[in-house]
Amino acid sequence: MKILTLWLALLGLAGCTTTTTIDEYRSSDKQLTVATNDSVVLLGRRDAGHYETDAEFVDCVGNKLRSSQLQVIPEQAFMDALYPWLEPRTAPKGLMRMRQLMQEPLVGEAISSQSIRYFVWLDGSTETLDKGGSISCAAGPGGAGCFGFAKWDKASIYEAIVWDVSDYSEVARVRVDSEGTSYLIGAVAPIPLLTPVKSDACKSLGKQLQSLFVAD
Amino acid sequence: MFKQTNVSQPIIGLLSALLLSGCSGATRVQLESSFPALLTEPREVRAAVIMSPEFSEYIATPNKNMTLEIGASQRNILEKTFRGLITEVVFVDNLALIEEPQDIIIRPSVVDVQVAVPSENYLNVYEVWIKYNIAISDTDDNPIDSWFMPVYGKTASSFMLQKDAAVGSATTIALRDIGAKLSLDFYRIPALKTYLDARWQETAP
Repeated sequence: MKILTLWLALLGLAGCTTTTTIDEYRSSDKQLTVATNDSVVLLGRRDAGHYETDAEFVDCVGNKLRSSQLQVIPEQAFMDALYPWLEPRTAPKGLMRMRQLMQEPLVGEAISSQSIRYFVWLDGSTETLDKGGSISCAAGPGGAGCFGFAKWDKASIYEAIVWDVSDYSEVARVRVDSEGTSYLIGAVAPIPLLTPVKSDACKSLGKQLQSLFVAD
Repeated sequence: MFKQTNVSQPIIGLLSALLLSGCSGATRVQLESSFPALLTEPREVRAAVIMSPEFSEYIATPNKNMTLEIGASQRNILEKTFRGLITEVVFVDNLALIEEPQDIIIRPSVVDVQVAVPSENYLNVYEVWIKYNIAISDTDDNPIDSWFMPVYGKTASSFMLQKDAAVGSATTIALRDIGAKLSLDFYRIPALKTYLDARWQETAP
């Protein structure tokens, strides 16, 4: 019993940690100034074929930025206000298309009315890389239980690209790679030891983006 | 041998309920989404859009275990889309209900609906394709073109996301794609462009 407890404690300490790497590129050394009335909008890229930047992650990073007193427009509300110009089929992939879109009177007016200064495009996903072990559960009239051991590796890779709408320029890129292993131990009751890979990626990306912006 | 206790009974009940609800194969998605208005400048065209009761109450069955009730939502998004593209547009159930002469008459219909789930496509996403046929005819109801319009939506799979909710979300994204697709391409349909250009020249002072 002692060995099992020790093993679980070790697993808990060693296993449920994430390794996160952040790469950042800025076009200048200065922080990005956000005036009192200016807003930032975070939008997920959804044009890749095999994955989807989920809205939950975009919300999570948005909430981290809001906590630093920045005015962040909710993604869905902004997409609805500009419908259909930010749908996967129509969203601008480059700055040239963004400039063209802003020249459409209705679109330009809608963006100006919300005082958007920066667009932050988030692109990426969380995927399970590897799975191992097996666990089986059974239930009978006398009781139920799970036995075995399973583990899986997850990786969250996201990139944030920041566009300055005032001069149609790309001002920063931040990439976050977060990896970790989760375990499920079946010792009558299933004991999950989950590694919050996605949550860690969100926290790290949010924190890094916070350091980019400064309120004027 | 386990001794049966009062604690095990609720666990067995819960597991049985999970097995019964979780392993049932049928998925029924009832969409009641409302969509935003289009941020577009409508063109000076008079049009009637015929959406039959069959279209407005359409239930897709992409496979024997799945039904998607998309009729009301597809009518909603098409009404908003055509209002954003055309200055004077009326929506009717059949041709007999059109009261005034129109430049064009539009009849949308569903050709095919396909759904792919992570267990089928080996990706981490739920996908929905809907293929529409947009039949366009002139003032006298002579055919101008029959244009196929595929729309697509996908949503990320999630550990806690139920299949119904995931397919519903992908379907809503596919229906939003109608607005995007028509905004980009409707006035670029070659036969329609030629017809409308000729009609504007006829009516120009």
